[in-house]
Amino acid sequence: MFVLDDLLFRPFIGIVDALHSIALDELYDLNELEDQLKENQLLYELGERPEAEYRERKAELEEEIEIAREVHERFSSGRVEVKR
Amino acid sequence: MSHIYVYGVVEASDDVEFETDAVGDADRVYTISHRRYAAVVSDIDTTEPEETDEDAQRHDDVLREIMEYEGGQTIVPMRFGMAFEGNRELKNVLRNAQPAFRRALRDIDGKIELGLKLVEEEDADVDRETVEDDVADRFEPIAEQSVPNDLFSDRLVFNRSYLVEKDDQEAFGDAVGELEEAYEDRLIVQYTGPFAPYSFVDVKIGAQ
Repeated sequence: MFVLDDLLFRPFIGIVDALHSIALDELYDLNELEDQLKENQLLYELGERPEAEYRERKAELEEEIEIAREVHERFSSGRVEVKR
Repeated sequence: MSHIYVYGVVEASDDVEFETDAVGDADRVYTISHRRYAAVVSDIDTTEPEETDEDAQRHDDVLREIMEYEGGQTIVPMRFGMAFEGNRELKNVLRNAQPAFRRALRDIDGKIELGLKLVEEEDADVDRETVEDDVADRFEPIAEQSVPNDLFSDRLVFNRSYLVEKDDQEAFGDAVGELEEAYEDRLIVQYTGPFAPYSFVDVKIGAQ
């Protein structure tokens, strides 16, 4: 019975994993954060963003990128625990 | 300072040595050669340098200094962060990657990289396809090659790197001036360079 349950539920577990992965990608979208970092630099270079604002935004984004990298690394190595 | 940080590779006959603000607070850039090729390096105390804004700028500045050194050197540039344990590890790479360095040096000899970004003015409305075609007509005849770069902002209409003969840099600059006039009030033109041709060499070497 255990084997049968396992086989029946395996596809659903796969779907849950996929949804979890999509949610993580959206919450911690590394490409989007890196694009924002480049845009911040560009607007500063063009004189559209004052230096103080540029530095503050840069620090925020770098921190978010570091967190996103860590989350992706943990997730890809299977070390993320999903608490329910 | 027992490790070696690499900026790029030149022909061994192009002996390079000068004092400057180098990556990781080093103050001297020199070459380590193996047969036909030499790596342009400075001393560093780590094999995993952190890419701070200051050190990234120093890396670019050193490459630019080498490009202007004694009338102009051709250098195969390395991306930021290439550091080796010591001479032996670096020479191994110089030996193993000889064919790649030969091809890369041939492809970029006497050439520089220039960058062109076009940013939409706020509330301006431009037809991106028309702009792309127009820019291609203006710059492709001057450049040897070009590669597209990411459009990382909604306001970024165009972002491309060009490989240009040093002698054609002035013509490229004139074309930029004409482009600015043509799209005044609609596009901001950001013209950057000259850089060592990062975007046009594909030499991957592993730091040991």
